[in-house]
Amino acid sequence: MTDQLLKIDNVAVSFRTSSGTTEAVKDVSYSVAKGETLAVVGESGSGKSVTARAIMGMLAPNAIVGEDTAIEFDGKDLTKFSEIEMQELRGNRISMIFQEPLTSLNPVHKVGDQVAEIISSHRRLSKSDLKAEVIRLLTEVQLPNPEARYAQYPHEMSGGQRQRVMIAMALANDPDLLIADEPTTALDVTVQAEILSLLKVLQAKHHMAVILITHDLTVVQSVSDRVVVMRRGEVVERGATADVFENPQHDYTKHLINSEPKGLPDPLDDNAPIVMDGKDLRIVFTLRSGGFFSGKKVELAAVDGVSASIRRGETLGIVGESGSGKTTFGMSLIRLGETQEGEISFHDKRIERLSRNEMRPLRPRIQVVFQDPFSSLNPRMIVRQILEEGLVVNNLGANAAERRDMIHTAMDDVQMPHSALERFPHEFSGGQRQRLAIARAIVLKPEFILLDEPTSALDLSIQAQIIDLLRDLRRKHGLSYLFISHDLKVVKALCHNTIVMQHGKVVEAGPTDKVLSNPETAYTQRLVKAAFEVVA
Amino acid sequence: MASVDLSMNAEEEAKHSLTYWQLVRRRFRRNRYGMAGFIGCCFIFFIAIFSGFLAPYSAGTRDSAALFSPPQSIHIIDVDGGITWPYVLGFDEQMDPVTFAFTFVPSEEKKIPLDFFARGETWSFLGMEFDRHFVLGENGQPVHFLGTDGLGRDVLSRAIHGSRITLIMGLVVMAAACIIGTTVGITSGYFGGLTDTIIQRIIEFVKSFPDLPLYLALLAILPRRADPMTIFIMFASILVLLQWADLARELRGKVIAIRSVEFVRAAVAVGATDKRIIFRHIAPSMSSHVIVWATYTLPNVILLESFLSFLGVGIQAPMISWGVMLNQVRDFQALAAAPWLLAPVGFIILSVLSFNALGDGLRDAMDPYSND
Repeated sequence: MTDQLLKIDNVAVSFRTSSGTTEAVKDVSYSVAKGETLAVVGESGSGKSVTARAIMGMLAPNAIVGEDTAIEFDGKDLTKFSEIEMQELRGNRISMIFQEPLTSLNPVHKVGDQVAEIISSHRRLSKSDLKAEVIRLLTEVQLPNPEARYAQYPHEMSGGQRQRVMIAMALANDPDLLIADEPTTALDVTVQAEILSLLKVLQAKHHMAVILITHDLTVVQSVSDRVVVMRRGEVVERGATADVFENPQHDYTKHLINSEPKGLPDPLDDNAPIVMDGKDLRIVFTLRSGGFFSGKKVELAAVDGVSASIRRGETLGIVGESGSGKTTFGMSLIRLGETQEGEISFHDKRIERLSRNEMRPLRPRIQVVFQDPFSSLNPRMIVRQILEEGLVVNNLGANAAERRDMIHTAMDDVQMPHSALERFPHEFSGGQRQRLAIARAIVLKPEFILLDEPTSALDLSIQAQIIDLLRDLRRKHGLSYLFISHDLKVVKALCHNTIVMQHGKVVEAGPTDKVLSNPETAYTQRLVKAAFEVVA
Repeated sequence: MASVDLSMNAEEEAKHSLTYWQLVRRRFRRNRYGMAGFIGCCFIFFIAIFSGFLAPYSAGTRDSAALFSPPQSIHIIDVDGGITWPYVLGFDEQMDPVTFAFTFVPSEEKKIPLDFFARGETWSFLGMEFDRHFVLGENGQPVHFLGTDGLGRDVLSRAIHGSRITLIMGLVVMAAACIIGTTVGITSGYFGGLTDTIIQRIIEFVKSFPDLPLYLALLAILPRRADPMTIFIMFASILVLLQWADLARELRGKVIAIRSVEFVRAAVAVGATDKRIIFRHIAPSMSSHVIVWATYTLPNVILLESFLSFLGVGIQAPMISWGVMLNQVRDFQALAAAPWLLAPVGFIILSVLSFNALGDGLRDAMDPYSND
């Protein structure tokens, strides 16, 4: 602990907003030694990213940094640095990787030029040396075929490849400190694992200090030496990673560690009637290919011959990486998307050719909960209006009083207070909004609910609450779920049967424990490994 | 675990819950420029509504003793330097011996004290007749604060009366263009497909009209002696025809974006009809855009109206608007002899600035992503 590279003391940041000043970070202190990985853990809004931006001197214009804030890097006080001196430091001795590899690269420049720019703004190199240096870096981050990649634009690469380019840019000038702000959150699980192991290899090679900001405890456990737990702008616990996980002191840390999804689904009655049945669904998108005058059309099968049937009380999980067609399949099963071929039956009634008007009587029995609770609730309506809408359009409930009782029951089911009914969605947190979205679905007393990644936009501890809630509701109302997810831990805790999808096709299907404990295909094995095993 | 979530909720309970419009009002009140625009707009509407009371004379009243009489300024300081009841000075008419032009020289002997809330010509408001005016000369002596035109009509009175037609024109055109633009834009964006293609081609056709020749053509179509009301309606229709297309196109883009947002798909999933989705989910989300568009369009219409009436193509006498008044200063001689006839320009500038400021303020206040 003698050789501290970065030491921050009493960092406080507040933001001026229309409704006064909000304290985002209060009195945060931590330090990182050379070659060490420090994980900063906390849920959204805990101030972990704001602290990192304060170190980099990259706060928003309405931020106020507290007077006692001290940031010492390699023996120098960064709070006294001018903007020009900070520019000299950023990208050179301290560099940063951001969460969103889609937006942090400039779409109109070649990736090689973008990496070269970082180098040439801090070092003078000849043109050919510069290019050789860029290719060396791209090789170092294990990007296949780096010479060809040099001339590619960001949109020609996958998310994982772009994140590798971001890492190459961060490493360009051999920094002493690397700040990685949720570097793997936007990536698929298998890619996540690759990126994390790459970071680990590079850290050891360059003897860098790394501050890893994340909300994912699996990531923390697998890569960090020490951990700092933040909540509401304050550090609540710190220590060596192993100690903190084995013996958490603070209630909040215990709460976080316990919030990994647990448990198994209730046993399923094999004789229960089939509620929803999709046979050999094929969904095709037609794209125009070639130049302006060529009338060539290319068919892209987003879903190709996928079948799924769900019994009463059953939860079927569909897992796969992004682009595997799982959401497209789910949406067309409940007729919110088009289907070109195949049969869909709901209680023996064929529904794949019904018009929107003919579907209307069935709508209350088939419901959906969307991924993003921030866009699935109309911001101009109060919660009562949102919940009432389905009752009104379907003429459910004889009168206003009866409808009110139904809404109150639904609110009780999702454990939200009745006072929430008179308020607008923006006044609630992500987890609360997802409860409201679930309430909107169950107030109609449906038999089948499509859950489209209902927990992926939420913090871990909230995720666990929503999973518990869904399990309780299934038991109470005998619901059937189609659960779309990329998170195998959640699937394990909730689903009876699982389908694994890749490129629009089913690669593996069967009872969840069988698929997860004994995966047959290489693709499933990779998914399972990434989700349940700590990276080597 | 649920207890954590609920305890946070109880904390928030204490905060007063604000609706979107309450937030907008609060943010708008803090915007000084916007507030100034709002006050200016209120002032202009006040003038237009109570024009009979505020204007000293009717629009057609002639003072044959004062042709091209210059503005009379209000004095409150006496010749001795003491403060006195406000008065204006009458004129001595003199003829220039060289040019034979009449000149008006204020004369200290002809003091005309002002009489507030005085009885004068009758005016009607909502079918009732009144004869009180805000300010007149004592004992019916004529006063002209902004001078008179070549027929001896009071410029201030005419400008105040003219505000009515100008504003009515602005509001009618704005409202009609709003209704057409919103309906067409939402239809086009929501239904898409062939409907959308046809509507968009129509919009492009409308947008490709050269507008000035179209206005001039109006003059050619109508008989010279057509009823001024007919011309007013035709004129307004042509302005509407050219204004709605922009709004329709902007709204179409916004509707297409919002149509695929999950709360709209959730409404489809609970079985809502198209009508309900349009009126309950899509239209309210468009309201802020439409309101801002409207406050920007009103000053545009005022400017267009005055420009065309100035050319003599717009509103026709005996109707008066600010543009019609400016029509009198078309020739440079009249302008050189009586520059006060440009007074309506001041009214136009004031109203255009006010409405634009109001629009700016509203746009900032309604932007949900602004954080001051």
